[in-house]
Amino acid sequence: MCGIVGYIGNRQALPILVESLKRLEYRGYDSAGVSVIDRELFNSKAAGRITELEKRLPDAPGRMGIAHTRWATHGRPSDRNAHPFTDCSGRISLVHNGIIENHRELRAGLESRGHRFTSETDTETVVHLVEENYKGDLRAAVSETVRHLRGSLALAVVHLSEPDRIVVARDESPLVIGLGQDENFVASDLPALLKYTRRVIYLQNREVAVIRRDGVGLESFEGEPVERDIATVDWSPEDTEKGGYQHFMLKEIYEQPRAILESLIGRIPGLELDIGGIDKEDFDSVKIVACGTSFHAGLVGKYVLEQLTGLPVIVEAASEYRYSANTRYSPLMVLVSQSGESADTLQAAREARRRGSRTLAITNVVGSSITREVDSVLYTRAGPEIGVAATKTFTSQLIALYLLGMAMGKHRGTLLPSQLQELIDGLRKLPRDVQSVLDNRGAIKLTAEWMAQARDVFFIGRNVHYPTALEGALKLKEISYIHAEGLPAGELKHGPNALLTAETPVVAIAIRDHTYDKMLSNIGEVSARSAPVIAIGLENDRELKKASDLTLYVPEVRPVLSPVPVITTLQLLAYHVALIRGCEIDKPRNLAKSVTVE
Amino acid sequence: MERLKAVILAAGEGIRLRPLTLYKPKVMIKVANRPILEYVVRALAQNHVRDIIMIVGYRRERIMTYFEDGQKLGVNISYEVQDKQLGTAHALSLAEGKTGERFLVLPGDNIADPSMVKDILASDEPYSIAVTESQLPSKYGVVLLKGRQVTGVVEKPESNLGNLISTGLFHMSSRVFSHIRSCASAGHHDITAVFQSILASGERIAAVKTAARWSDVVYPWDLLDLNARVLTEGAGAVAGTIESGVHIRGNVQVGEGSVIRSGTYIEGPVRIGRGCDIGPNVCLLPSVSIGDNVNIQSSTEIRNSLVMNDVTIGPGALVSHSVIGDGSRLGAHFVAGAEKAQVILEREIHVVPALGVILGEDTVVGNCVTVEPGVFIGSSCRIGSLRNIPKNVPDNSSVV
Repeated sequence: MCGIVGYIGNRQALPILVESLKRLEYRGYDSAGVSVIDRELFNSKAAGRITELEKRLPDAPGRMGIAHTRWATHGRPSDRNAHPFTDCSGRISLVHNGIIENHRELRAGLESRGHRFTSETDTETVVHLVEENYKGDLRAAVSETVRHLRGSLALAVVHLSEPDRIVVARDESPLVIGLGQDENFVASDLPALLKYTRRVIYLQNREVAVIRRDGVGLESFEGEPVERDIATVDWSPEDTEKGGYQHFMLKEIYEQPRAILESLIGRIPGLELDIGGIDKEDFDSVKIVACGTSFHAGLVGKYVLEQLTGLPVIVEAASEYRYSANTRYSPLMVLVSQSGESADTLQAAREARRRGSRTLAITNVVGSSITREVDSVLYTRAGPEIGVAATKTFTSQLIALYLLGMAMGKHRGTLLPSQLQELIDGLRKLPRDVQSVLDNRGAIKLTAEWMAQARDVFFIGRNVHYPTALEGALKLKEISYIHAEGLPAGELKHGPNALLTAETPVVAIAIRDHTYDKMLSNIGEVSARSAPVIAIGLENDRELKKASDLTLYVPEVRPVLSPVPVITTLQLLAYHVALIRGCEIDKPRNLAKSVTVE
Repeated sequence: MERLKAVILAAGEGIRLRPLTLYKPKVMIKVANRPILEYVVRALAQNHVRDIIMIVGYRRERIMTYFEDGQKLGVNISYEVQDKQLGTAHALSLAEGKTGERFLVLPGDNIADPSMVKDILASDEPYSIAVTESQLPSKYGVVLLKGRQVTGVVEKPESNLGNLISTGLFHMSSRVFSHIRSCASAGHHDITAVFQSILASGERIAAVKTAARWSDVVYPWDLLDLNARVLTEGAGAVAGTIESGVHIRGNVQVGEGSVIRSGTYIEGPVRIGRGCDIGPNVCLLPSVSIGDNVNIQSSTEIRNSLVMNDVTIGPGALVSHSVIGDGSRLGAHFVAGAEKAQVILEREIHVVPALGVILGEDTVVGNCVTVEPGVFIGSSCRIGSLRNIPKNVPDNSSVV
């Protein structure tokens, strides 16, 4: 999604701004731009990669400036639509994340009053409004402007007449201020700051801040002064480097054994989850709400929680839940978001609260927006994830859901202590099961060579492996651009069978569980239509090997926990297919890491 | 001034340490809960050498995932990949153009003592080799000296040429790369040939004798001595949950999130990693390292052993003078007692004064299995219950 960075201090701003922008590249973008103030206001922007922008940069010596990466929502990607935007006088420059919902009416008014627009974007209205409201005090102009805006925003604004400050504002879109020594920073996302500082201030909704070289002042949109503690970030900036790997995605796939272990430390064997006792409350049902890969984790969570707690579980896409009817029942609401900033999931959290539900967030980012919207937080401890295709955060979310199910099952008595012990033993073994998949990736590489030629691939599974199939298909399509569909295996004969040919490989997940025999017959049906079958099963499963064209094995593991090694296999498969096809793995086209627009 | 860089050679497999190196390079085997390679990196950092080029190859993901770009250890690491392990000189050649004028070269698979790094940094000769005395010079490159000057290096000599050997730690000039190229065109990829070429060209190579302890790990049982030695360093520190009725004596470290259950007796030096579950009534005697996420069940006794990450040891077991590889799962009443053992490796008979079992990674062992002293059990093996294991079990095999 869009990224904002800003710098004010004693150093030349341009290199710092460009470097910070590069640290936001993983969020996905289609154009980039920068403004630096010296005695003049330099402005430069370009469609495409940041390297395109670098080619055009002036050697501006200014010591303060703002910059932006844009991901198109209004107006196609182009130089013209890239940020920053300047006002008619060319003295004010502004960058913006989010969406201004009432920009059309505002624009009509501004145009009638003689403002000239150069782009189709909603953002440009904001800079002209600031221009209109400017009476010699940039902060006052910004405060006045944001009061007239509807929608979501994070803004950073500079004015040639006030070269000692950057004014920023936030409502619904994230913004973090970084505090340095005689210099300060601002960014929409932490990784942009971490090279320079770990002391940060999280700006909250409806707040404006004035950032000077030697200080920061906060107030509300209404002008009330705000006191905010300084937070210290414990991620090291280098956590975001590739460390020898060709791609972040591969690095992150390989980090999974450690990420899983981190998620378990201190939580087993006692199942002390530090979620304010919400696991010990009584609920009639559970609803899991999420988007994308987190939604798939939620779907696995449904099977897990139903099996471990006996409670009915419904999973909804966050963008759907928000607009669903209020049925006046209050399940435990579990909101899953890697970044804790996904706009749809945030809105769903608010809606859930409005409806009177108890809310629990599962997220990877301490202090992220969602943590302020819910009753309790269960953190995954995957560390920063840069690859747009989620990998280690997915498996860590599964671990969180297992732990939650076990803690609730323990309290509700739906799990015998002996069953609980077996699950704990199984969890303890998971880092190793995943390592074993990584250690034996030779067979996966060979399968990938074979699959890379395909135009369509189907993924089928039953029970916990229906969502695993969905996630496997998502990984493949995200990074390799091969059309892929995940299906419950039983649904094949209700339509999709019509698409099977010798050119459509089918990935069938068949773990020895209560659906195993049914899966074998589904594999038979697929083979009968001459579609090649790539089966994923437990090691030493000879029967499966006979039934399929290629077989990939995962270590012997309890069925309920088997999505973890299986998805690791599918992640590697997708990675190697994309590698063979020469795709841009860490930054797939049209995708963004953290989707902060609705 | 340009900062001095170091090249660490970490591409090798370490075949003599099988089965422990089936899934990881030798440099990543842990001693006292840290990979051997981490000691090398720390020794450099202590001497303010912070820019490191790691030559990686075999199973390199293990190295890269662990060290990343080095910031956690306060250094900058970049990686160069050696696809085929042709020789140390070839490995070193991959760093050409990235080292600067003067640089250090270190083997990644010896625990380098920081004082050794300091000694060689002090040498201002164009080339220096850190040398040490060895009981077994015939296993190493023997360095021939005239005064402080090196007159020759002979790899694994068959006759007695003295007992000074090369530690593999060098201080070098970037001119070495042209020597490497000319040796390579003659088909020589080992560092010994490069030193001969340097000497033949009339340049000088100095020997730096180091008083620091130098310990090479050649065979798996060498890990036990090294572990025992390293464990004597460092202070005790206990985190995690220690139930009442646990006795802890001596230098003992317990990592975060670990649970030590009642009745457990620990006599240091013992190091326990993070997220472990140990006890009740477990007895851990001196010189035991236990990795992360290890589960040791009731009434088990372990002494002078290395238990790697993610291992489970069932109740009532005895593990002595043994190495248990990552992820292996031993059933109840597993017995690996230590005795004087004869081990045949590379067609040589080695007499080891006390050895239990060397057990690889991901091996699953049933209940009531007894292993005779000095036996090697491979990685990814399946061993049924009620077995006596009298001889070596190769990787990926089943004993039922």
